[in-house]
Amino acid sequence: MQYMADVKSPRPQSRAAAIEVTGLSHIYEGRDGQVPALQEVSLTVGAGRFVVIVGPSGCGKTSLLMMMAGLRHQSSGTILCAGKPITGPDPNRVGVVFQEASLFPWLTALDNIEFPLSIRHAPREERRRRADAMLNLVGLKGFGTRYPHELSGGMKQRVSIARGLVQDPPVLLMDEPFAALDEQTRMTMGHELLRIWDETAKTVVFVTHSLTEAVYLADEVLVMSARPGRIIDRIDIALARPRTYEMMATDVFGRLRERIWQQIRRRSD
Amino acid sequence: MQRPSPATVRRLILVLVLALWEVVPLTGVLPELFLPALSKTLTVLVQNWAEYAHALAVTLYEVALSMAIACGGGILVGALVGGLALLRNLLLPVFSSLYAVPIVILYPIFTAWFGIGSESKIAFAGIYGFFPVMLSTAAGIGTIDQNLLLAARSMGASVPQQIARVVIPASIPTVLSGLRLGGALAIIGVVVAEMLTSSDGIGYLVTRYRTVLDSPRVFAAILMILVLSVVFDLIARWAERRTLAWQTAGRRERGAQIRARSLAAAPATA
Repeated sequence: MQYMADVKSPRPQSRAAAIEVTGLSHIYEGRDGQVPALQEVSLTVGAGRFVVIVGPSGCGKTSLLMMMAGLRHQSSGTILCAGKPITGPDPNRVGVVFQEASLFPWLTALDNIEFPLSIRHAPREERRRRADAMLNLVGLKGFGTRYPHELSGGMKQRVSIARGLVQDPPVLLMDEPFAALDEQTRMTMGHELLRIWDETAKTVVFVTHSLTEAVYLADEVLVMSARPGRIIDRIDIALARPRTYEMMATDVFGRLRERIWQQIRRRSD
Repeated sequence: MQRPSPATVRRLILVLVLALWEVVPLTGVLPELFLPALSKTLTVLVQNWAEYAHALAVTLYEVALSMAIACGGGILVGALVGGLALLRNLLLPVFSSLYAVPIVILYPIFTAWFGIGSESKIAFAGIYGFFPVMLSTAAGIGTIDQNLLLAARSMGASVPQQIARVVIPASIPTVLSGLRLGGALAIIGVVVAEMLTSSDGIGYLVTRYRTVLDSPRVFAAILMILVLSVVFDLIARWAERRTLAWQTAGRRERGAQIRARSLAAAPATA
Protein backbone atom coordinates (compact mmCIF):
# COMPACT_ATOMS: atom_id res chain seq x y z
CA MET A 1 0.00 0.00 0.00
CA GLN A 2 3.02 2.24 0.15
CA TYR A 3 2.34 3.63 -3.32
CA MET A 4 -1.26 4.60 -2.63
CA ALA A 5 -1.68 8.33 -2.80
CA ASP A 6 -2.72 9.52 0.61
CA VAL A 7 -1.68 13.00 -0.36
CA LYS A 8 -3.56 14.55 -3.21
CA SER A 9 -1.74 14.71 -6.53
CA PRO A 10 0.57 17.76 -6.50
CA ARG A 11 -1.10 19.00 -9.68
CA PRO A 12 -3.90 21.43 -8.99
CA GLN A 13 -6.94 20.01 -10.71
CA SER A 14 -9.95 22.20 -11.15
CA ARG A 15 -13.44 20.77 -10.84
CA ALA A 16 -14.45 22.23 -14.19
CA ALA A 17 -15.22 19.73 -16.92
CA ALA A 18 -13.03 19.85 -20.01
CA ILE A 19 -15.25 17.39 -21.85
CA GLU A 20 -18.82 16.36 -21.17
CA VAL A 21 -20.37 13.57 -23.19
CA THR A 22 -24.09 13.04 -22.67
CA GLY A 23 -26.26 10.21 -24.01
CA LEU A 24 -24.00 9.56 -26.97
CA SER A 25 -25.27 6.84 -29.30
CA HIS A 26 -24.12 5.80 -32.69
CA ILE A 27 -25.68 3.45 -35.21
CA TYR A 28 -24.06 2.65 -38.51
CA GLU A 29 -25.39 0.90 -41.57
CA GLY A 30 -23.79 -2.54 -41.68
CA ARG A 31 -24.25 -5.28 -44.23
CA ASP A 32 -27.05 -6.88 -42.19
CA GLY A 33 -28.83 -3.68 -41.37
CA GLN A 34 -28.25 -1.26 -38.55
CA VAL A 35 -25.46 -1.94 -36.10
CA PRO A 36 -25.45 -0.12 -32.79
CA ALA A 37 -21.82 0.92 -32.22
CA LEU A 38 -22.22 3.12 -29.17
CA GLN A 39 -25.11 3.12 -26.76
CA GLU A 40 -25.91 5.91 -24.34
CA VAL A 41 -22.34 6.81 -23.48
CA SER A 42 -22.02 9.53 -20.90
CA LEU A 43 -18.81 10.67 -19.30
CA THR A 44 -17.16 13.72 -17.84
CA VAL A 45 -13.48 14.50 -18.08
CA GLY A 46 -12.31 17.03 -15.52
CA ALA A 47 -9.91 19.74 -16.66
CA GLY A 48 -6.30 18.64 -16.35
CA ARG A 49 -7.20 14.97 -15.85
CA PHE A 50 -5.59 12.03 -17.58
CA VAL A 51 -8.42 9.69 -18.55
CA VAL A 52 -7.79 6.36 -20.27
CA ILE A 53 -10.47 4.43 -22.15
CA VAL A 54 -9.95 0.66 -22.46
CA GLY A 55 -12.10 -2.06 -23.93
CA PRO A 56 -12.07 -5.02 -26.30
CA SER A 57 -11.50 -4.57 -30.04
CA GLY A 58 -14.50 -3.17 -31.81
CA CYS A 59 -16.08 -1.69 -28.70
CA GLY A 60 -16.21 1.71 -30.34
CA LYS A 61 -13.56 3.41 -28.24
CA THR A 62 -11.86 4.86 -31.30
CA SER A 63 -15.24 5.98 -32.67
CA LEU A 64 -15.93 7.71 -29.39
CA LEU A 65 -12.59 9.50 -29.56
CA MET A 66 -13.12 10.51 -33.21
CA MET A 67 -16.47 12.00 -32.26
CA MET A 68 -14.85 13.98 -29.46
CA ALA A 69 -12.39 15.23 -32.08
CA GLY A 70 -15.25 16.28 -34.34
CA LEU A 71 -14.01 13.92 -37.05
CA ARG A 72 -17.08 11.69 -37.02
CA HIS A 73 -20.72 12.45 -36.35
CA GLN A 74 -22.80 10.68 -33.74
CA SER A 75 -26.38 9.55 -34.30
CA SER A 76 -27.54 11.22 -31.10
CA GLY A 77 -26.25 12.77 -27.91
CA THR A 78 -24.03 15.76 -27.27
CA ILE A 79 -20.34 16.39 -26.70
CA LEU A 80 -19.35 19.59 -24.94
CA CYS A 81 -15.79 20.83 -24.84
CA ALA A 82 -15.17 23.78 -22.52
CA GLY A 83 -18.95 24.16 -22.36
CA LYS A 84 -19.47 24.47 -26.10
CA PRO A 85 -20.66 21.66 -28.39
CA ILE A 86 -18.24 19.94 -30.75
CA THR A 87 -19.58 20.12 -34.30
CA GLY A 88 -16.39 19.61 -36.30
CA PRO A 89 -12.62 19.58 -35.97
CA ASP A 90 -11.41 22.50 -33.88
CA PRO A 91 -7.63 22.37 -33.31
CA ASN A 92 -7.84 25.34 -30.95
CA ARG A 93 -9.87 23.28 -28.51
CA VAL A 94 -8.81 19.71 -29.27
CA GLY A 95 -5.52 18.27 -30.52
CA VAL A 96 -5.45 14.70 -31.88
CA VAL A 97 -2.67 12.10 -31.96
CA PHE A 98 -3.34 9.01 -34.07
CA GLN A 99 -2.12 5.43 -33.86
CA GLU A 100 -0.10 5.80 -37.03
CA ALA A 101 1.92 8.94 -36.43
CA SER A 102 0.33 10.20 -39.69
CA LEU A 103 3.17 12.60 -40.40
CA PHE A 104 3.43 14.06 -43.89
CA PRO A 105 6.46 12.26 -45.36
CA TRP A 106 7.39 15.18 -47.65
CA LEU A 107 7.75 17.60 -44.73
CA THR A 108 10.53 17.78 -42.17
CA ALA A 109 9.73 17.22 -38.49
CA LEU A 110 9.59 20.96 -37.90
CA ASP A 111 7.38 21.60 -40.95
CA ASN A 112 5.06 18.83 -39.81
CA ILE A 113 4.70 20.51 -36.44
CA GLU A 114 4.08 23.85 -38.16
CA PHE A 115 1.43 22.39 -40.46
CA PRO A 116 -1.62 23.25 -38.30
CA LEU A 117 -0.31 26.82 -37.92
CA SER A 118 0.43 27.30 -41.61
CA ILE A 119 -3.10 26.15 -42.44
CA ARG A 120 -4.33 29.10 -40.41
CA HIS A 121 -1.80 31.41 -42.07
CA ALA A 122 0.02 32.21 -38.85
CA PRO A 123 3.04 34.51 -39.40
CA ARG A 124 6.22 32.63 -40.29
CA GLU A 125 8.18 33.80 -37.26
CA GLU A 126 5.48 32.80 -34.83
CA ARG A 127 5.16 29.42 -36.52
CA ARG A 128 8.86 28.72 -36.25
CA ARG A 129 9.03 29.91 -32.65
CA ARG A 130 6.11 27.76 -31.49
CA ALA A 131 7.20 24.71 -33.46
CA ASP A 132 10.71 25.02 -32.00
CA ALA A 133 9.27 25.21 -28.51
CA MET A 134 7.18 22.09 -29.16
CA LEU A 135 10.18 20.23 -30.56
CA ASN A 136 12.07 20.97 -27.35
CA LEU A 137 9.10 19.97 -25.24
CA VAL A 138 8.96 16.51 -26.79
CA GLY A 139 12.73 16.07 -26.47
CA LEU A 140 13.64 16.24 -30.15
CA LYS A 141 15.84 19.31 -30.14
CA GLY A 142 18.18 19.12 -33.12
CA PHE A 143 15.95 16.74 -35.10
CA GLY A 144 13.81 19.43 -36.73
CA THR A 145 15.31 19.03 -40.20
CA ARG A 146 14.79 15.26 -40.32
CA TYR A 147 12.17 13.75 -42.57
CA PRO A 148 9.73 11.25 -41.00
CA HIS A 149 11.42 8.22 -42.60
CA GLU A 150 14.65 9.30 -40.94
CA LEU A 151 13.00 9.06 -37.51
CA SER A 152 12.29 5.99 -35.38
CA GLY A 153 8.74 5.02 -34.46
CA GLY A 154 9.00 6.62 -31.04
CA MET A 155 10.40 9.84 -32.48
CA LYS A 156 7.60 9.99 -35.02
CA GLN A 157 5.05 9.83 -32.23
CA ARG A 158 6.93 12.57 -30.39
CA VAL A 159 6.59 14.76 -33.50
CA SER A 160 2.93 13.80 -33.71
CA ILE A 161 2.37 14.84 -30.09
CA ALA A 162 4.18 18.12 -30.75
CA ARG A 163 1.92 18.71 -33.74
CA GLY A 164 -1.17 17.99 -31.66
CA LEU A 165 -0.08 20.51 -29.04
CA VAL A 166 1.27 23.29 -31.26
CA GLN A 167 -1.98 25.28 -31.24
CA ASP A 168 -2.07 24.96 -27.47
CA PRO A 169 -5.48 23.27 -27.20
CA PRO A 170 -6.62 22.51 -23.65
CA VAL A 171 -7.49 18.93 -24.63
CA LEU A 172 -5.33 16.24 -26.25
CA LEU A 173 -7.05 13.14 -27.64
CA MET A 174 -4.83 10.12 -28.25
CA ASP A 175 -5.93 7.05 -30.19
CA GLU A 176 -3.64 4.13 -29.24
CA PRO A 177 -0.62 6.30 -30.01
CA PHE A 178 1.98 3.77 -28.85
CA ALA A 179 0.33 0.58 -30.10
CA ALA A 180 2.73 0.18 -33.02
CA LEU A 181 5.86 0.64 -30.89
CA ASP A 182 7.99 -2.04 -29.33
CA GLU A 183 7.57 -2.71 -25.62
CA GLN A 184 10.58 -0.73 -24.39
CA THR A 185 9.91 2.31 -26.54
CA ARG A 186 6.29 2.12 -25.45
CA MET A 187 7.25 2.30 -21.78
CA THR A 188 9.60 5.20 -22.38
CA MET A 189 7.01 7.04 -24.41
CA GLY A 190 4.38 6.56 -21.69
CA HIS A 191 6.77 8.06 -19.18
CA GLU A 192 7.56 10.91 -21.55
CA LEU A 193 3.90 11.58 -22.16
CA LEU A 194 3.33 11.96 -18.42
CA ARG A 195 6.19 14.45 -18.24
CA ILE A 196 4.73 16.46 -21.15
CA TRP A 197 1.27 16.29 -19.60
CA ASP A 198 2.70 17.55 -16.33
CA GLU A 199 4.57 20.42 -18.00
CA THR A 200 1.68 21.56 -20.17
CA ALA A 201 -1.26 20.88 -17.79
CA LYS A 202 -3.42 19.51 -20.61
CA THR A 203 -6.48 17.34 -20.31
CA VAL A 204 -5.72 13.98 -21.95
CA VAL A 205 -8.14 11.34 -23.17
CA PHE A 206 -6.16 8.27 -24.15
CA VAL A 207 -7.45 5.11 -25.83
CA THR A 208 -5.47 1.88 -25.47
CA HIS A 209 -5.61 -1.90 -25.54
CA SER A 210 -2.91 -2.25 -22.93
CA LEU A 211 -4.12 -2.55 -19.35
CA THR A 212 -0.64 -1.94 -17.95
CA GLU A 213 -0.37 1.24 -19.96
CA ALA A 214 -3.84 2.28 -18.78
CA VAL A 215 -3.05 1.86 -15.09
CA TYR A 216 0.38 3.39 -15.42
CA LEU A 217 -0.83 6.56 -17.13
CA ALA A 218 -4.32 7.25 -15.87
CA ASP A 219 -5.98 9.26 -13.15
CA GLU A 220 -9.08 7.41 -14.13
CA VAL A 221 -9.81 4.41 -16.35
CA LEU A 222 -13.09 3.99 -18.20
CA VAL A 223 -13.87 0.41 -19.23
CA MET A 224 -16.04 -0.14 -22.29
CA SER A 225 -17.93 -3.27 -23.31
CA ALA A 226 -18.08 -4.74 -26.79
CA ARG A 227 -20.90 -4.00 -29.20
CA PRO A 228 -22.85 -1.99 -28.49
CA GLY A 229 -20.15 0.06 -26.80
CA ARG A 230 -21.09 1.21 -23.34
CA ILE A 231 -19.10 2.38 -20.36
CA ILE A 232 -19.36 -0.40 -17.80
CA ASP A 233 -16.90 0.71 -15.16
CA ARG A 234 -15.00 3.74 -13.99
CA ILE A 235 -11.91 3.12 -11.90
CA ASP A 236 -9.89 5.74 -10.06
CA ILE A 237 -6.19 5.05 -10.19
CA ALA A 238 -5.03 6.28 -6.82
CA LEU A 239 -1.34 5.81 -7.46
CA ALA A 240 0.93 8.67 -6.47
CA ARG A 241 2.49 10.93 -9.04
CA PRO A 242 5.01 11.13 -10.52
CA ARG A 243 4.57 7.52 -11.59
CA THR A 244 7.63 5.31 -11.64
CA TYR A 245 8.38 2.05 -13.40
CA GLU A 246 8.78 0.36 -9.99
CA MET A 247 5.08 0.92 -9.29
CA MET A 248 4.22 -1.66 -11.94
CA ALA A 249 5.58 -4.38 -9.67
CA THR A 250 3.42 -3.43 -6.69
CA ASP A 251 0.31 -5.20 -5.43
CA VAL A 252 -1.82 -2.12 -5.83
CA PHE A 253 -0.89 -1.86 -9.50
CA GLY A 254 -1.60 -5.55 -10.02
CA ARG A 255 -4.98 -5.35 -8.32
CA LEU A 256 -6.07 -2.35 -10.37
CA ARG A 257 -4.98 -4.11 -13.53
CA GLU A 258 -6.81 -7.28 -12.46
CA ARG A 259 -10.02 -5.39 -11.75
CA ILE A 260 -10.04 -3.87 -15.25
CA TRP A 261 -9.29 -7.27 -16.77
CA GLN A 262 -12.17 -8.89 -14.85
CA GLN A 263 -14.56 -6.26 -16.14
CA ILE A 264 -13.51 -6.77 -19.74
CA ARG A 265 -13.53 -10.56 -19.48
CA ARG A 266 -16.87 -10.81 -17.71
CA ARG A 267 -18.56 -8.92 -20.52
CA SER A 268 -16.96 -10.72 -23.38
CA ASP A 269 -17.73 -14.25 -22.12
CA MET B 1 40.94 -7.32 -55.18
CA GLN B 2 38.15 -4.80 -55.11
CA ARG B 3 35.11 -5.43 -57.23
CA PRO B 4 34.32 -2.62 -59.75
CA SER B 5 31.19 -0.61 -58.96
CA PRO B 6 28.05 -1.23 -61.05
CA ALA B 7 28.42 2.27 -62.56
CA THR B 8 31.92 1.42 -63.80
CA VAL B 9 30.69 -1.86 -65.27
CA ARG B 10 27.85 -0.06 -67.04
CA ARG B 11 30.29 2.41 -68.59
CA LEU B 12 32.58 -0.42 -69.67
CA ILE B 13 29.69 -2.22 -71.36
CA LEU B 14 28.75 0.96 -73.24
CA VAL B 15 32.35 1.44 -74.41
CA LEU B 16 32.47 -2.21 -75.46
CA VAL B 17 29.27 -1.93 -77.53
CA LEU B 18 30.54 1.22 -79.25
CA ALA B 19 33.89 -0.45 -79.92
CA LEU B 20 32.18 -3.51 -81.42
CA TRP B 21 30.00 -1.22 -83.54
CA GLU B 22 33.22 0.21 -84.96
CA VAL B 23 35.30 -2.96 -85.25
CA VAL B 24 32.83 -5.64 -86.41
CA PRO B 25 31.88 -3.92 -89.73
CA LEU B 26 35.57 -3.20 -90.46
CA THR B 27 36.43 -6.90 -90.19
CA GLY B 28 33.89 -7.63 -92.89
CA VAL B 29 31.92 -10.12 -90.79
CA LEU B 30 28.84 -7.97 -91.33
CA PRO B 31 28.23 -6.16 -94.61
CA GLU B 32 27.76 -2.38 -94.40
CA LEU B 33 24.12 -2.80 -95.41
CA PHE B 34 23.48 -4.56 -92.09
CA LEU B 35 25.69 -2.44 -89.89
CA PRO B 36 27.83 0.50 -91.03
CA ALA B 37 30.75 1.34 -88.73
CA LEU B 38 30.25 3.91 -86.01
CA SER B 39 32.81 6.26 -87.59
CA LYS B 40 31.07 6.08 -90.95
CA THR B 41 27.68 6.75 -89.33
CA LEU B 42 29.07 9.78 -87.49
CA THR B 43 30.74 11.10 -90.62
CA VAL B 44 27.46 10.89 -92.55
CA LEU B 45 25.69 12.61 -89.67
CA VAL B 46 28.16 15.51 -89.66
CA GLN B 47 28.25 15.86 -93.44
CA ASN B 48 24.47 16.05 -93.64
CA TRP B 49 24.04 17.99 -90.45
CA ALA B 50 21.66 20.58 -91.94
CA GLU B 51 19.20 17.88 -93.02
CA TYR B 52 19.38 16.02 -89.70
CA ALA B 53 19.18 19.16 -87.58
CA HIS B 54 16.06 20.24 -89.42
CA ALA B 55 14.49 16.79 -88.95
CA LEU B 56 15.43 16.85 -85.26
CA ALA B 57 13.81 20.26 -84.82
CA VAL B 58 10.57 18.98 -86.38
CA THR B 59 10.61 15.86 -84.19
CA LEU B 60 11.38 17.84 -81.04
CA TYR B 61 8.51 20.22 -81.77
CA GLU B 62 6.10 17.30 -82.18
CA VAL B 63 7.45 15.55 -79.09
CA ALA B 64 7.11 18.71 -76.98
CA LEU B 65 3.48 19.28 -77.95
CA SER B 66 2.46 15.63 -77.61
CA MET B 67 4.13 15.48 -74.18
CA ALA B 68 2.18 18.57 -73.17
CA ILE B 69 -1.06 16.85 -74.25
CA ALA B 70 -0.13 13.53 -72.63
CA CYS B 71 1.00 15.07 -69.34
CA GLY B 72 -1.56 17.88 -69.08
CA GLY B 73 -4.50 15.75 -70.16
CA GLY B 74 -3.28 12.70 -68.26
CA ILE B 75 -2.90 14.57 -64.99
CA LEU B 76 -6.24 16.34 -65.38
CA VAL B 77 -8.28 13.27 -66.31
CA GLY B 78 -6.32 11.09 -63.88
CA ALA B 79 -7.02 13.50 -61.03
CA LEU B 80 -10.74 13.49 -61.81
CA VAL B 81 -10.93 9.72 -62.24
CA GLY B 82 -8.82 9.05 -59.15
CA GLY B 83 -10.55 11.66 -57.00
CA LEU B 84 -14.20 11.00 -57.78
CA ALA B 85 -15.47 7.54 -56.85
CA LEU B 86 -18.22 7.64 -59.50
CA LEU B 87 -15.79 8.32 -62.35
CA ARG B 88 -13.33 5.83 -60.94
CA ASN B 89 -15.84 2.98 -60.95
CA LEU B 90 -17.23 4.01 -64.31
CA LEU B 91 -14.11 4.81 -66.32
CA LEU B 92 -11.06 3.20 -64.75
CA PRO B 93 -11.83 -0.35 -66.00
CA VAL B 94 -12.44 1.04 -69.50
CA PHE B 95 -9.19 3.01 -69.52
CA SER B 96 -7.23 0.09 -68.12
CA SER B 97 -8.46 -2.16 -70.94
CA LEU B 98 -7.84 0.50 -73.59
CA TYR B 99 -4.26 0.70 -72.38
CA ALA B 100 -3.69 -2.80 -73.76
CA VAL B 101 -4.99 -1.87 -77.24
CA PRO B 102 -2.20 -1.16 -79.75
CA ILE B 103 -3.21 2.42 -80.40
CA VAL B 104 -1.00 2.49 -83.47
CA ILE B 105 -3.88 0.92 -85.42
CA LEU B 106 -5.64 4.26 -85.04
CA TYR B 107 -2.84 6.18 -86.72
CA PRO B 108 -4.18 5.79 -90.30
CA ILE B 109 -7.43 7.37 -89.10
CA PHE B 110 -5.44 10.22 -87.55
CA THR B 111 -3.73 10.93 -90.84
CA ALA B 112 -7.14 11.01 -92.52
CA TRP B 113 -8.36 13.51 -89.92
CA PHE B 114 -5.29 15.67 -89.43
CA GLY B 115 -3.24 15.12 -92.62
CA ILE B 116 0.30 13.80 -92.80
CA GLY B 117 1.87 16.89 -91.21
CA SER B 118 2.84 17.42 -87.58
CA GLU B 119 -0.75 17.53 -86.31
CA SER B 120 -1.43 13.82 -86.78
CA LYS B 121 1.85 12.91 -85.03
CA ILE B 122 1.09 15.20 -82.11
CA ALA B 123 -2.44 13.83 -81.74
CA PHE B 124 -1.32 10.21 -81.98
CA ALA B 125 1.70 10.49 -79.66
CA GLY B 126 -0.31 12.64 -77.25
CA ILE B 127 -2.90 9.90 -76.86
CA TYR B 128 -0.22 7.22 -76.78
CA GLY B 129 1.52 8.92 -73.83
CA PHE B 130 -1.74 9.96 -72.18
CA PHE B 131 -2.68 6.56 -70.78
CA PRO B 132 0.24 5.83 -68.45
CA VAL B 133 0.14 9.40 -67.09
CA MET B 134 -3.59 9.24 -66.55
CA LEU B 135 -3.54 5.77 -64.98
CA SER B 136 -0.68 6.51 -62.60
CA THR B 137 -2.20 9.85 -61.59
CA ALA B 138 -5.49 8.10 -60.85
CA ALA B 139 -3.64 5.42 -58.90
CA GLY B 140 -1.59 8.00 -57.01
CA ILE B 141 -4.66 9.93 -55.94
CA GLY B 142 -6.80 6.86 -55.33
CA THR B 143 -4.27 5.24 -53.02
CA ILE B 144 -3.47 8.19 -50.75
CA ASP B 145 -3.04 7.22 -47.11
CA GLN B 146 -6.44 8.12 -45.65
CA ASN B 147 -4.80 8.63 -42.26
CA LEU B 148 -3.00 11.67 -43.65
CA LEU B 149 -6.30 13.21 -44.74
CA LEU B 150 -7.83 12.43 -41.37
CA ALA B 151 -4.89 14.09 -39.63
CA ALA B 152 -5.21 17.16 -41.86
CA ARG B 153 -8.91 17.38 -41.08
CA SER B 154 -8.22 17.15 -37.36
CA MET B 155 -5.95 20.18 -37.79
CA GLY B 156 -8.79 22.11 -39.34
CA ALA B 157 -7.76 21.89 -43.02
CA SER B 158 -10.53 22.84 -45.45
CA VAL B 159 -11.19 20.68 -48.51
CA PRO B 160 -9.15 22.93 -50.87
CA GLN B 161 -6.33 22.90 -48.31
CA GLN B 162 -6.54 19.11 -48.06
CA ILE B 163 -6.14 18.89 -51.84
CA ALA B 164 -3.33 21.44 -52.11
CA ARG B 165 -1.41 20.44 -48.99
CA VAL B 166 -1.99 16.68 -48.80
CA VAL B 167 -3.44 15.09 -51.94
CA ILE B 168 -1.09 16.78 -54.42
CA PRO B 169 2.20 16.30 -52.56
CA ALA B 170 1.23 12.74 -51.61
CA SER B 171 0.55 11.74 -55.21
CA ILE B 172 3.63 13.40 -56.75
CA PRO B 173 5.84 10.26 -56.66
CA THR B 174 3.37 8.11 -58.63
CA VAL B 175 2.52 10.95 -60.99
CA LEU B 176 6.20 11.54 -61.75
CA SER B 177 6.84 7.91 -62.61
CA GLY B 178 3.80 8.08 -64.90
CA LEU B 179 5.19 11.23 -66.53
CA ARG B 180 8.48 9.50 -67.21
CA LEU B 181 6.75 6.58 -68.88
CA GLY B 182 4.27 8.83 -70.72
CA GLY B 183 7.06 11.08 -71.97
CA ALA B 184 9.01 8.10 -73.28
CA LEU B 185 5.88 6.80 -75.02
CA ALA B 186 5.28 10.22 -76.58
CA ILE B 187 8.76 10.06 -78.13
CA ILE B 188 8.08 6.54 -79.41
CA GLY B 189 4.69 7.63 -80.73
CA VAL B 190 6.12 10.55 -82.69
CA VAL B 191 8.95 8.50 -84.21
CA VAL B 192 6.68 5.57 -85.13
CA ALA B 193 4.14 7.93 -86.68
CA GLU B 194 6.88 9.66 -88.68
CA MET B 195 8.09 6.30 -89.92
CA LEU B 196 4.60 5.25 -91.02
CA THR B 197 3.30 8.25 -92.91
CA SER B 198 4.99 11.61 -93.07
CA SER B 199 7.18 14.00 -94.99
CA ASP B 200 9.47 15.22 -92.24
CA GLY B 201 11.18 14.38 -88.94
CA ILE B 202 13.80 11.84 -87.89
CA GLY B 203 11.46 8.87 -88.26
CA TYR B 204 10.81 9.95 -91.84
CA LEU B 205 14.57 9.96 -92.52
CA VAL B 206 14.85 6.40 -91.22
CA THR B 207 12.11 5.15 -93.55
CA ARG B 208 13.27 7.17 -96.54
CA TYR B 209 16.91 6.02 -96.42
CA ARG B 210 15.95 2.47 -95.60
CA THR B 211 13.92 2.21 -98.84
CA VAL B 212 16.99 3.28 -100.80
CA LEU B 213 19.22 0.96 -98.76
CA ASP B 214 21.45 3.80 -97.54
CA SER B 215 22.41 2.19 -94.24
CA PRO B 216 24.83 4.82 -92.89
CA ARG B 217 22.11 7.48 -93.12
CA VAL B 218 19.55 5.16 -91.51
CA PHE B 219 21.92 4.52 -88.64
CA ALA B 220 22.69 8.21 -88.29
CA ALA B 221 18.97 8.84 -87.75
CA ILE B 222 18.73 5.92 -85.31
CA LEU B 223 21.67 7.32 -83.37
CA MET B 224 19.88 10.66 -83.02
CA ILE B 225 16.74 9.00 -81.72
CA LEU B 226 18.82 7.03 -79.21
CA VAL B 227 20.45 10.22 -77.97
CA LEU B 228 17.06 11.96 -77.79
CA SER B 229 15.55 9.17 -75.66
CA VAL B 230 18.55 8.93 -73.36
CA VAL B 231 18.63 12.70 -72.80
CA PHE B 232 14.91 12.72 -72.01
CA ASP B 233 15.37 9.91 -69.51
CA LEU B 234 18.27 11.70 -67.83
CA ILE B 235 16.23 14.90 -67.50
CA ALA B 236 13.24 12.97 -66.14
CA ARG B 237 15.37 11.16 -63.58
CA TRP B 238 17.04 14.38 -62.52
CA ALA B 239 13.64 16.06 -62.06
CA GLU B 240 12.42 13.09 -60.03
CA ARG B 241 15.48 13.21 -57.77
CA ARG B 242 15.06 16.94 -57.24
CA THR B 243 11.38 16.71 -56.37
CA LEU B 244 11.61 13.61 -54.25
CA ALA B 245 14.61 14.61 -52.18
CA TRP B 246 12.60 13.72 -49.08
CA GLN B 247 12.30 10.12 -50.25
CA THR B 248 15.93 9.45 -50.99
CA ALA B 249 17.70 11.70 -48.52
CA GLY B 250 17.54 9.12 -45.78
CA ARG B 251 18.92 6.26 -47.80
CA ARG B 252 22.11 8.21 -48.19
CA GLU B 253 22.55 8.52 -44.45
CA ARG B 254 21.58 5.24 -42.91
CA GLY B 255 24.13 5.79 -40.20
CA ALA B 256 22.40 8.92 -39.02
CA GLN B 257 19.15 7.00 -38.86
CA ILE B 258 20.61 4.34 -36.63
CA ARG B 259 22.07 6.98 -34.34
CA ALA B 260 18.66 8.65 -34.24
CA ARG B 261 17.02 5.39 -33.23
CA SER B 262 19.30 4.80 -30.29
CA LEU B 263 18.72 8.38 -29.21
CA ALA B 264 14.95 8.07 -29.47
CA ALA B 265 14.86 5.53 -26.68
CA ALA B 266 15.54 8.13 -24.03
CA PRO B 267 16.67 11.62 -24.97
CA ALA B 268 14.77 13.52 -22.30
CA THR B 269 14.05 11.11 -19.51
CA ALA B 270 17.34 11.65 -17.75
